[in-house]
Amino acid sequence: MTAPPLAQLANVFLRIGNLTFGGGGPTIAAFQREMVDRRQWLSPEQFALSYALSRITPGTNLFAFCTCTGALLRGFAGALVALGAASIPSCILVAVLTAGFDTASRWGAVNVAIDGAVAASVGILLASCWSIIAPYVTRANGARTALLAGVSFGLSLISTPLLVLGLAAVVGWFWRERE
Amino acid sequence: MSLWTLYFLLLKATLSSFSGLASLPILREDFVVRRPVLTDRQLNTALVIGRTTPGPKGLYVVSLGYYVAGYPGASMAWAALVTPALLVVAMLGVAARFTGDPRVKRMLRTVVIASAGISLSATLPLGLDALTTPLAWVLAGVSLVILLRTEVDTLWVMAGAALVSWAASFVNLTRG
Repeated sequence: MTAPPLAQLANVFLRIGNLTFGGGGPTIAAFQREMVDRRQWLSPEQFALSYALSRITPGTNLFAFCTCTGALLRGFAGALVALGAASIPSCILVAVLTAGFDTASRWGAVNVAIDGAVAASVGILLASCWSIIAPYVTRANGARTALLAGVSFGLSLISTPLLVLGLAAVVGWFWRERE
Repeated sequence: MSLWTLYFLLLKATLSSFSGLASLPILREDFVVRRPVLTDRQLNTALVIGRTTPGPKGLYVVSLGYYVAGYPGASMAWAALVTPALLVVAMLGVAARFTGDPRVKRMLRTVVIASAGISLSATLPLGLDALTTPLAWVLAGVSLVILLRTEVDTLWVMAGAALVSWAASFVNLTRG
């Protein structure tokens, strides 16, 4: 895996960070597809590390995730570029929309298009769930992987993601790989 | 309210939360109840704007910053949102020392698998909110199939869904 140039890094964070609808979940899913599956900038382990650290960082998880992946790829400069590229344009958009909210809310066509994009983000999240666990669904470990994912799903409905990740880490401590 | 006060109040709220909307009760207490510089209506409008723009839902804080002090206030809100994220660089430095350990590798593996379960649970409220028409179900399903079977960029999938939804509104297919 080679570190991408800062301009390429900025391009990816700019596009995905500011054009993915539906909140942090679909956006991280889109980053996972782009940086792990397509470009192979990050290994699944580095993605996991970024995901886990962003979850235990106070504030907006997505921005912590971008900062962490940027730092993994290009050090502190990469962290700043990723954070700036992922946050500044969308924040400007929010400020401008707030200034003209009454006008913007009357644009029915825009709202309908956003509804379509948000519906697609459901598909993006589901596809991401599969691509995250697919490498671990092997003949030897498939059942345990499915069980762990299923229990995590159930627990996260009634608990916080932080607690679920903590429990998963404890399970990992005792996890023995089957050949 | 000075811009620095605004920054520190917003920073306090974002530092006290671990997800997009978790800072809302603190912000309401600080900006609506204790210092009445915002109304509940502005708070709700900020939430709507945060939901309808790309990026994290926590961006509604920028909208609040704008309501308090215009564009300089929005800039302070951006600064308050991104400041906590820089903490992760220090945490990464500590964590990176241990990633070669086989037990840590196994822990990361189970954390990855658990993250898929967490993402799946996050899909539920998003799905309940978004999949209210047959067309929305079709768009979600087609997007899923395209993403699983092709290498198409997610942005094209979203742009295509937005375009189809917009076109369908002309023949009333976007109604439930």
